Amino acid sequence: MTFDRIRVGAYALGAWMAVAILLSLALITRPEVPLGKAVLAAFPPSLLLGVIALAARYPCRAMPLRKTPFSRVLSTHIGTAAAAAGLWVVVWKATPNLITSNLPLIFGVGVVIYDSAVTVHYLTLELEASRIAEDAALRYQVLAREAELKAFKAQVDPHFLFNSLNAVASLCGSRPGDAREMAQLMADFFRLTLRLSSRERITLAEEIDLVSRYLAIEKVRFGARLRTNINIDTAAGEFPVPPLLLQPLVENAVRHGIASVVDGGTIDIAANANDGVLHIRIENPADPDRPQPRGESIGLQNARGRLAAISNGRASLRTEEAEGKYRVEIELPSSC
Amino acid sequence: MAMIRTIIVDDEPLARDVLREYLGADEDFEIVAECANGFEAVRAVSEHDPDVLFLDIQMPKLDGFEVLELLDRSPVVVFVTAYDEYALRAFEVHALDYLLKPFSEERFRAVTQRIKTQIQQPRAAVAPLGSALRHKPLQRIVVRGEDGTIQVIAAARVDYVEADDDAIVIATGGTKIRKQQSIGDLSGELDPDRFVRIHRSYLLNIERVDKIELYAKDSRVAILRDGTRLPVSRSGYARLKELL
Repeated sequence: MTFDRIRVGAYALGAWMAVAILLSLALITRPEVPLGKAVLAAFPPSLLLGVIALAARYPCRAMPLRKTPFSRVLSTHIGTAAAAAGLWVVVWKATPNLITSNLPLIFGVGVVIYDSAVTVHYLTLELEASRIAEDAALRYQVLAREAELKAFKAQVDPHFLFNSLNAVASLCGSRPGDAREMAQLMADFFRLTLRLSSRERITLAEEIDLVSRYLAIEKVRFGARLRTNINIDTAAGEFPVPPLLLQPLVENAVRHGIASVVDGGTIDIAANANDGVLHIRIENPADPDRPQPRGESIGLQNARGRLAAISNGRASLRTEEAEGKYRVEIELPSSC
Repeated sequence: MAMIRTIIVDDEPLARDVLREYLGADEDFEIVAECANGFEAVRAVSEHDPDVLFLDIQMPKLDGFEVLELLDRSPVVVFVTAYDEYALRAFEVHALDYLLKPFSEERFRAVTQRIKTQIQQPRAAVAPLGSALRHKPLQRIVVRGEDGTIQVIAAARVDYVEADDDAIVIATGGTKIRKQQSIGDLSGELDPDRFVRIHRSYLLNIERVDKIELYAKDSRVAILRDGTRLPVSRSGYARLKELL
């Protein structure tokens, strides 16, 4: 950026230098003008004009058109134009008078040059601003896509896959019919995961369908240790939610909850919609002495991040653990 | 050759089924017990004194490594898990092998072959199973009582630890639990950002500290939230100051 600015400045000064050289050449075509005098008459005023034209960028940058009252833009530029043109007249008077001594005309030329410079500066500043905005939008898009991808990856826990395949392998020996059924449950679950995750929003009922399929697989593994109780009221079922919002949380309820308790227990999932706000609660038994890494799990972080991103911070996700129960509660306003 | 007495430990019934099926096809093996959690495993090992333990890692209450820590015997151990990230630790506790779920029958036969070789001519000492090297700070302390009961205490719930001859007394929420271990060993295993040795005989969870008071010249006392007063030595105070 700074390098760019220096380069543009150098180009601009170079252009004014060219003006000065051309002016000198024009002057020495007159027989009575020696070279030294022509250079002295052409260079100082031209260079000063160049500096003035460049310096005009500062008031332009300080007063962006969209954020400054027009009266202030106008008064400031009239003031600066007058000062710049005045300075130019002074320099003009100090140089050998070869071209014209009509000072009002010289003053006018100064004002016109200043105004043209201001126009060019405002145009380039506008271009720069729109390029920065475009960059930011692009970067945001990439970040959002990355977050989605991460959420998807986190949700397909490889250990879930390995353990389920181990269950299939085991069933093949003892109960081939059940092995087939388990393979089918897994295929349905993964297919539905892919289908739902490609959409922007799904209904809560669709998400709960996915979660139920996941739990059906885990029930084959955990047997009587895993029980479920799902209670979604009709209005809540029609609520739009981002896909795979709950699935990783229910997976946590199994991995860190049910799996930590010798006799297992019940995963309770309940949702209702009141006054355009969706309330979801996931509750599971958990051993308070289970190994707990510091900080939140990836699944929880992702859910929090996605809720914040889609709701501009209006949705909430709270967790609570007491008396051997772990609870996640989500509140999502309908306009998200 | 005598039958190889085997115990299967896994909290998933289907995972136990496949091990039972494969072992059943090899007449050298005899399954003496099947356990669905770490508690059962510790009890079954002292009861049956098995030659081999097929051991899952992620289980409720006690994980596979904690089970090994509590054993007073050293059977040949084969870990069976879906997680490959414990392989290094498994090697450090001298496990004979590490089966990744799901595994092929061929791979399983290779393991049983290694077990037979190991039992016929024991090579490397399979002994120090209990003294597992640890990579991350200890998150739970497991204690085996004289009557065989097992207690698991989350490190975060420990208030302080007091040395008592060659044993320690762990204070947690008003109750005190005795364990045969030196305070120095435990101090080396717990999270150094949370537990600080404030005195030769005391290890303190800094989250329990209410205030530190000057008691006499060069001698301080730590007052915990529940009112307990513990002595703080001069070097202990220096360590404490660094953390707080």
